[in-house]
Amino acid sequence: MNSEEVKIGVYICHCGGNISDKVDVEKVAEDAGNLPDVTVSRTYTFMCADPGQELIVEDIEKHGLNRIVVASCSPSLHETTFRSAVVRGGLNQFLYEHVNIREQVSWVHASTGEATAKATTLVRAAIARVRHHEPLSLIRVGATSRALVLGGGVAGLRAALDLAVYGLPVTIVEKSSRLGGQVAEFGTVFPTGESGAELVRTLVRDVSALEEITVLTGARVTGATGYVGNFTVMVEQERGDGSTEDLEIPAGAVIVATGSRPYEPDMGEFGFGQFPEVVTLPDFIQILNETRADGDLTVNGKMIRRAAFIHCVGSRQIEGIQKPKPGRPLNENCSRICCTATLKAESDLIEKFPGVFVYDLYRDIRTYGRNHEEIYERASRDGVSFLCYEPATPPVVTMAAPDDTGNLLITVKDNLTAGMEIEVAVDLVVLAVGMEPADVGPLAESLKLPAGADGFLQEVHPKLRPVEMAVAGVVLAGTCQSPRDIEESCASASAAAVKVAGLLTRGHVDLEPYVARVNADRCEGTGICLSQCEYDGALKIVESVIDGRAIRKAVVNEALCTGCGACVAVCPTRAIDINGWTLDQFEAMVDAMCADPVEVASD
Amino acid sequence: MNRAASTETVDTLVIGGGIAGLQTALDLADLGLQVAIVEKEPSIGGKMIGLSKVFPTLDCASCITTPKMAATAHHENIRILTLAEVESVTRHDEDFSVRVTLQPRYVDEDLCIGCRLCEYACDADVADEFEGGLSAHRAIYIPFTNAIPQLAILDPMECNLCGQCAVACPTDAVVFDQKPREIEITARSVVVATGFETTPMGAKEEYRGNEIVNVISPLTMERLLAPHGPYGRVLRPADGKVPDSVAFVQCAGSRDRSLGVPYCSRVCCMYAIKQAMLLSGALPFADITIYYMDIRAFGKGYETFFQNASAMGIEFVKGKVARIDEAGDRNVEVRFEHIDELGQVEERTHDLVVLSLGMLPAADLRDRMPISVSSDGFVTVPKPTIEPCRTNEPGIFVAGTAAGPKDIVDAIAEAGAAAMAVSGYLKKREPAGDAVCAVSAGMEIR
Ligand SMILES: Cc1cc2nc3c(=O)[nH]c(=O)nc-3n(C[C@H](O)[C@H](O)[C@H](O)COP(=O)(O)OP(=O)(O)OC[C@H]3O[C@@H](n4cnc5c(N)ncnc54)[C@H](O)[C@@H]3O)c2cc1C
Ligand SMILES: Cc1cc2nc3c(=O)[nH]c(=O)nc-3n(C[C@H](O)[C@H](O)[C@H](O)COP(=O)(O)OP(=O)(O)OC[C@H]3O[C@@H](n4cnc5c(N)ncnc54)[C@H](O)[C@@H]3O)c2cc1C
Ligand code: SF4
Ligand code: SF4
Ligand code: SF4
Ligand code: SF4
Repeated sequence: MNSEEVKIGVYICHCGGNISDKVDVEKVAEDAGNLPDVTVSRTYTFMCADPGQELIVEDIEKHGLNRIVVASCSPSLHETTFRSAVVRGGLNQFLYEHVNIREQVSWVHASTGEATAKATTLVRAAIARVRHHEPLSLIRVGATSRALVLGGGVAGLRAALDLAVYGLPVTIVEKSSRLGGQVAEFGTVFPTGESGAELVRTLVRDVSALEEITVLTGARVTGATGYVGNFTVMVEQERGDGSTEDLEIPAGAVIVATGSRPYEPDMGEFGFGQFPEVVTLPDFIQILNETRADGDLTVNGKMIRRAAFIHCVGSRQIEGIQKPKPGRPLNENCSRICCTATLKAESDLIEKFPGVFVYDLYRDIRTYGRNHEEIYERASRDGVSFLCYEPATPPVVTMAAPDDTGNLLITVKDNLTAGMEIEVAVDLVVLAVGMEPADVGPLAESLKLPAGADGFLQEVHPKLRPVEMAVAGVVLAGTCQSPRDIEESCASASAAAVKVAGLLTRGHVDLEPYVARVNADRCEGTGICLSQCEYDGALKIVESVIDGRAIRKAVVNEALCTGCGACVAVCPTRAIDINGWTLDQFEAMVDAMCADPVEVASD
Repeated sequence: MNRAASTETVDTLVIGGGIAGLQTALDLADLGLQVAIVEKEPSIGGKMIGLSKVFPTLDCASCITTPKMAATAHHENIRILTLAEVESVTRHDEDFSVRVTLQPRYVDEDLCIGCRLCEYACDADVADEFEGGLSAHRAIYIPFTNAIPQLAILDPMECNLCGQCAVACPTDAVVFDQKPREIEITARSVVVATGFETTPMGAKEEYRGNEIVNVISPLTMERLLAPHGPYGRVLRPADGKVPDSVAFVQCAGSRDRSLGVPYCSRVCCMYAIKQAMLLSGALPFADITIYYMDIRAFGKGYETFFQNASAMGIEFVKGKVARIDEAGDRNVEVRFEHIDELGQVEERTHDLVVLSLGMLPAADLRDRMPISVSSDGFVTVPKPTIEPCRTNEPGIFVAGTAAGPKDIVDAIAEAGAAAMAVSGYLKKREPAGDAVCAVSAGMEIR
């Protein structure tokens, strides 16, 4: 490629106005067009749209272009889009350079002059870099035909079943002694009224019937190594006799389905821990299920005649109003399932014990799902009395006077009566607690799985790649990603499974080629690079005997190298470089930006 | 009507090329299955391609949709049929035989190169539905900038038969006498992804959505807010005034038994908040009010989005809007029961009012295929908890808003789930050891 004449095509995107409203795209294209080796320089409304991509394909064919630069939005959105256009034009996909002039330019600069100058500078740098690009190949490595599912709740079971039916071997690693997660504990579930235990039984029966699935219960992950296609997960499983067994499970992909746990209220939060008559929703569901309809509903030995349910406990928290629990951030988000679960529990209570009077203290009723609004309507029909509180003035739970109609007194400013302060005496307070993420454990640390500010595991992009993690080969299923109901947990589990099926059916995976490469002529084998490399096995010194002399050279394991560049920075002889990010390229870019600065036009 | 001579076989036929249909097709095609998408409109992309920015990330909608559209169009295992409607799906043993009508484009799909010369030559103007009727296109036109496929279409009702387009066309692609064609496809499985329509503007008489010009639909507001929208800025339609006061009326057509729509449409709270935020960016001095009963910001990151909107000064008024009238200067008067004020009835005047319309199913396919539909009008899913995409007919699955209101994030997740369910179903059908992905003969990929 080096001997060939470099012909660069440059494309500046308007992004329908997102860019062109701030950046004078024509001016940027004109500047680029005057640079050496730039054969074509154009602008277009939407480069990512089909006609935009076709421009690139046609220009490659017509003008014999062999390097392409597109200046548009963030590369995380469209780098692969344009790489594929470059391939359709018959070029190696790595002869492409992407410039972000939207997130890094038009959206963050107020002045057209400055934005245009910065875009021009960035495009110049990209042209300088693309000139040095060489054709690279993806690194193809074999993939283990097995998926590991961490967590055996409904999401984990659903994902495992899907993959096994598709024909892939699966290992489920569940830390507790049984499968099914939380759903097994709920009695009947909304919106269908099916038995949660029965749902779990159905899934477990199907799982057991498939020889592709291995289930490890009472099993804990102690660590993991590897990369997409080739993970090794270390598991410690309890044996019947109290001892443990250590296992190493090879897996091509990992599905994290560790689920969630109910928020545990703080001591004194709405009287929790202070009064035994204050319980959480999951506890109440259990009490209700365990009480016979012809018996008395009692809590702490006392008959329940009036009950109050308080929504949003541990969810939708607001800084300055709620205090975070030690070591945890405030939970600003809505837990999504607790409104419907609460209203269902209220109706279940009234239907089983028609004499009980129910108050519902809410902020917004969020019965959003299919057939959920009906559950709200049913609770209203059943005579539930609704009180609406503002986040700034949450209800206060205190001990009632001895002669009152209940043991506890709730004081609340009710929006539905113009903020009037209302007092209700009740025998029971049920806290509609939200969801907290479960502890993913050592797997998260070993594989460096990112979590969001809320502690739930983080997807790459909620719309473009909603079940994938930034760590290739690791996907998310169910409530470990965010609160959701059973249906949504199963939908995300199947969506995660289909990604794994796509990954593992090919039998191999292709890794990006941005890894270190050693120039053996320059390498003196000092091994300074080795001392800087943080990734086990990525770099080693190999000794060979040539012409009777022992020669030491650094050698890169391309599958394990992350391309971080730590080695490049320390090599005294410039013998090691990162593919596509060579020192020569950095120098060319800096020169392009600094040699002859772009003038900023006044607005 | 011509009958297609040849019958094609595909592993999966996806009905509807919205985001849910596209994602299902992509996931299936990545498994090596042969997929055909049948889309009734001239372009794929569904509702999403017409949106401005999308909550909760505020990504530009085009930027998220176009890559999926392009990936679908370029996938070697996917074939797209546009202007195509399913007439019937009937079971023949294990397979389905699907009759599809291809509506005429009046442009030869094989010849058109999307150059737009016809559009420039035509002088008949037609209100542009994609832009909410706020701007115009010619009688022959490319549906919108990022449409796929990039092929012209002629509107015979508006064409004045001058023939200028045919003269201008470099490839002789204009065919004035094209007729509908019927083709038959054999499909081993079917996915219904026909999506939703918004509640008609006139559904709730008291809101007079069809009469008052400055009462607009949320899809029109999406176009007003889109950077490449009809005016390139936010102006109200009646007189082109920059609005100083904009109001959103929530649950307009949802949670309303009198309209036969008892359910929550699930996206209207969030899109109203989104539009309000984008408006306060575009019109920093405008007052923005949202009349609501409950704010349903339940998804990941949605509550923070709502709290941010509050902090930006968007006013949330807990109140049920009883009626809407035209006031002086083409303004709009909103009469509402102020719940925070003991249900007192109040009136306020705004320059522009958006009805936060709900979601209705786009298609009732009961008469055309062996599936059932529930009382809410959406496709019945007999076991939604653990099999969210299976319908009551083996081999027919559902994805996205065809199975009930949902936002893009949830529609995309469900699309992946539908693809998994389909591939599992096909695997089970195969005798062990056989490849699922038998390449279908006679498939011509465009
Ligand atoms: C009070 C309440 C009532 C509800 N009612 C309903 C209802 O009626 N209808 C409905 O649709 N939804 C309901 N939900 C929501 C429902 O519980 C969830 O959607 C569902 O449990 C999610 O399943 P999951 O598999 O994601 O997680 P989980 O059920 O939490 O399962 C996770 C599994 O992973 C295991 N695990 C956790 N960490 C590890 C680890 N580090 N290593 C190995 N294994 C691990 C756990 O032991 C568990 O078995 C309710 C939720 C609550 C809190
Ligand atoms: C005003 C508004 C703003 C919104 N904003 C957001 C937002 O910011 N973020 C977000 O997450 N969600 C938003 N949404 C929701 C979002 O639009 C939907 O979640 C998404 O478009 C659903 O995709 P779908 O594929 O299920 O349906 P659709 O987009 O409706 O696609 C269905 C496709 O099927 C085709 N079709 C229908 N019937 C047939 C038939 N019989 N034969 C062949 N083809 C057929 C249709 O033409 C269409 O192309 C918004 C919705 C509205 C109304
Ligand atoms: S679902 Fe309801 S109770 Fe739960 S956090 Fe959201 S608004 Fe509060
Ligand atoms: S680039 Fe980073 S991971 Fe690769 S060899 Fe160098 S230091 Fe190690
Ligand atoms: S019909 Fe002809 S003139 Fe019109 S876009 Fe197609 S090729 Fe161009
Ligand atoms: S999402 Fe909000 S506006 Fe839409 S129907 Fe539900 S509650 Fe009403």
